[in-house]
Amino acid sequence: MGLLRFVLEELRGIARTFGLTLYYVFRGRWRWAPVLEQMFQVGNRSVFFILVTMGFLGAILNFQTGFQAMRLFGDTSLLGAATLPLLVRQLGPTLCGLMVAIRVGTGIAAEIGSMVVTEQVDALRMCNAQPVDYLIKPRFIACTIMVPVLWVIGTTIAFLCGMYVTWASFHTIPATYMNFDLIRLPDVVEGASKALVFGMVIPVIAGHSGFAARGGSEGVGSATTQAVVNASLAVIALDFLLGGIAFLFKTAGL
Amino acid sequence: MIEFIDIHKAFGANKVLDGVSITVQTGQILFIIGKSGAGKSVLVKHLVGLIRQDAGRILFEGTDITNYREKDFYEMRKRCAMVFQHSTLFDSMTLIENVALPIRKHRGVSRAEALEQAHAKLALVHMDHLADRAPGEIGDGLRKRVAIARALTLDPEYVVFDEPTTGLDPVSAVRVDRLIREMSDRTGVTSIVVSHDLRSIFGIADRIVMLYQGKVLLDGSPSEYRRCENPVVRQFVNGLPEGPMEL
Repeated sequence: MGLLRFVLEELRGIARTFGLTLYYVFRGRWRWAPVLEQMFQVGNRSVFFILVTMGFLGAILNFQTGFQAMRLFGDTSLLGAATLPLLVRQLGPTLCGLMVAIRVGTGIAAEIGSMVVTEQVDALRMCNAQPVDYLIKPRFIACTIMVPVLWVIGTTIAFLCGMYVTWASFHTIPATYMNFDLIRLPDVVEGASKALVFGMVIPVIAGHSGFAARGGSEGVGSATTQAVVNASLAVIALDFLLGGIAFLFKTAGL
Repeated sequence: MIEFIDIHKAFGANKVLDGVSITVQTGQILFIIGKSGAGKSVLVKHLVGLIRQDAGRILFEGTDITNYREKDFYEMRKRCAMVFQHSTLFDSMTLIENVALPIRKHRGVSRAEALEQAHAKLALVHMDHLADRAPGEIGDGLRKRVAIARALTLDPEYVVFDEPTTGLDPVSAVRVDRLIREMSDRTGVTSIVVSHDLRSIFGIADRIVMLYQGKVLLDGSPSEYRRCENPVVRQFVNGLPEGPMEL
């Protein structure tokens, strides 16, 4: 009962923060300097992490799939065509979302949590600067723009690393691997939608955890942990939900 | 005049304020004292809407602000500023930008105009020569002075100081005390100071309220405190480690 109540309260708090963020995005004044700063933090600073993670993911995915394909059919010519939709609509956005939740979400929660316990958030309120407007909005805009960009970069590098592994392990030439016959526009739309939604929810969830920080450094630590757990769960749950919606659209012929 | 009437506040099972009633007279320097965790900061944060009471009423110059919403406090915070315990300057801004922030947000003036006004406020606390420094580049005492300048930017009638001398060296602490006294004498601003610094308390206070076990233990002038025979007050005033005061 206690756990259910905690989950419901967390969801209510996150929904409230999300609503306030949207309100300030559409109604408030935009300050571009902090948005650009956050885009640098979210995007440029995450690129290496995403490249390495997605590169290895693409290599492992193609090696394991190719290995099974060789055992079953003795042929890996359709490996690129088969793994590309999977990367574009499923693994690309989800893994990028999880990586951003870990790298960026912790940073947001720790920064805001530290500001809460040192009363800087109260000081903002005293200055008539709304904490959600001032702290979450720039991160929200930055993540909403940069997570889809990271998805494109990550998916591309995963596909290219898969191509190299397929060539090195199974001697499938790149021209054969580069087969785009099975990728469809709905796959791209699904992947882009997921990346966009993950970009919107990660900063809100992390920021909400940061605002809930109490006490001292221990409270900031707990808030940071909570942010990673909540943001990662949200990415996985939303991946399932959006995947389901996309499936319904496809079966309905839309 | 500000009136706290029968304020109750608990955090979970921890009852912090248990029926506190205080009247703050205009123009006074009122010290709220008590041991750590006595609820001093919690009480004053009610005044500017940073914490909401569980029960009780607050009257600000006769207006009941008990049920004010966050938006209603915007105007209130122009008239009643607060200097926080940790100075709370924003690291991402220079000192002058920190001071200019409330001017821009509350008055909606241009950046250039806000910076010009902020310079004048920094000069009041003799910090204008360091205007373009970052908060991390100056010491605690100087940061506190900048925080005071930021609180004064909108010419408030009331200023709440939350432990203004805690963590400062004796010289910086005396300078901050002098600044509070000067500000009160020169502009007539009412100061509510949360503190357990005995030197400050008996140096500049007009009136002192002591909180103990969630209630007001004594409300009086510094001389009344010196004469008071209550053993808890005596222990606090004399800074004795042994005595009836609960840990």
